[in-house]
Amino acid sequence: MDSQLLTTEFESFKGQLKSYILRMTASVQDAEDIVQDTYLKAHTNLSTFEGDSSLKTWVFSIASNLAKDHLRSKKRWPENVTDICKEAALSNQEFFQEAMTIRHSSPQGQFEIKEHISFCFTCIAKSLPLEQHLTVLLKEVYDFKVKEIATIIDQTDAMVKYYLHTGRSTMVSVFDKRCSLINKEGVCHQCTELNGIFNPDQNAQEEVVKIKMAKEADNPDKEHLFNLRMEVVKGIDPFESDAAELQLHHLEQNRKVMEDYLKNN
Amino acid sequence: MMTTATLSAQDGKATTVKKTFSRATSVSILIDSDVSIIWALLTNASDFPRWNSTVLSIDGEIKVGEKIKLKSYLDPDRTFKIKIKEIIKDQKMVWGDAMGTRVFTLTKTEKGVLFSMDEKIASPMFPLFAGQIPSFDESFEKYAADLKKEAELIAKGK
Repeated sequence: MDSQLLTTEFESFKGQLKSYILRMTASVQDAEDIVQDTYLKAHTNLSTFEGDSSLKTWVFSIASNLAKDHLRSKKRWPENVTDICKEAALSNQEFFQEAMTIRHSSPQGQFEIKEHISFCFTCIAKSLPLEQHLTVLLKEVYDFKVKEIATIIDQTDAMVKYYLHTGRSTMVSVFDKRCSLINKEGVCHQCTELNGIFNPDQNAQEEVVKIKMAKEADNPDKEHLFNLRMEVVKGIDPFESDAAELQLHHLEQNRKVMEDYLKNN
Repeated sequence: MMTTATLSAQDGKATTVKKTFSRATSVSILIDSDVSIIWALLTNASDFPRWNSTVLSIDGEIKVGEKIKLKSYLDPDRTFKIKIKEIIKDQKMVWGDAMGTRVFTLTKTEKGVLFSMDEKIASPMFPLFAGQIPSFDESFEKYAADLKKEAELIAKGK
């Protein structure tokens, strides 16, 4: 493997890597920095890459370690992160004004409910313990196999299965309690509320039924509904989608709110 | 060679031995899973209520020297304050309070991992309150069955 090939291959999955780090850190700047550091580290240590795994797995391993080092000292977010951030946003006129400006002026300023589902998952998954969070992302969003994840997070296959199972089970339960798209009693309606603000001429219910997860909300198989949620998340590149600028602006707001909240709690 | 007694002790049925100044309850069950998965389930305090139908909540961290607060369906109004006395990763864990000691052991066998849980309550005062302590048998059997079910489910994951 030479550095030219590294650069070529790195470019082919850089987008996935950057969105993976964004989903872990909820910070655009951290994602940029960690991806850059990952490339430098991979370049420096290229001679130690022996081809036991794919280059992509090896690079994701470097990135995961850098992100873990970055996140280890930070508190995990609470399950009700979106409630806390909503309250903060409602008292922040500036946030809504900026969001409206993006909505009306940016080519990546559209609002779509499925984009918000992805955004919401990014926020709520940060309530999982770190190893579970990484494992769920790597398996459910980036399609790595258990063995590859074991290499990436330096754990046994058995522990990857444990992290995946517990992480998934927790997320299934949290979304079942919270998400009104899949549970009429769900406490969170933010995606449809925001749709009303950003797309006032749209009928939110008509938009909702376009999403398979919401269409199948009556299915008692909660695991299946979670799989459908993951399909939505998987289909969205948070840096490249038509809603990217609007959602990243919102994510930055939520991260700042959580940083303040966690200082005091 | 395994004796009949050894085999019957792995079926998830609890046994209790009562003496004048003590009571000991034991359960063992064979689990077809990786020992690290079983160990992770036994040591992740906050995750217990998700898979263990005998536990309402555990507050605290399961680490040597730490004290945890356990609420059980067996006596939901009471909070047990328990000290984690000993941990040998993937093998043994000892919890206890002033009255009793609970020992969890994991033994790798050719057929899987043998999980055993033993609790002994012993005190010179035991005869005075023995009648107030409910039987642990059913709770121990549920505990072992839940652990087996969850650990085997995780091990089968792809």
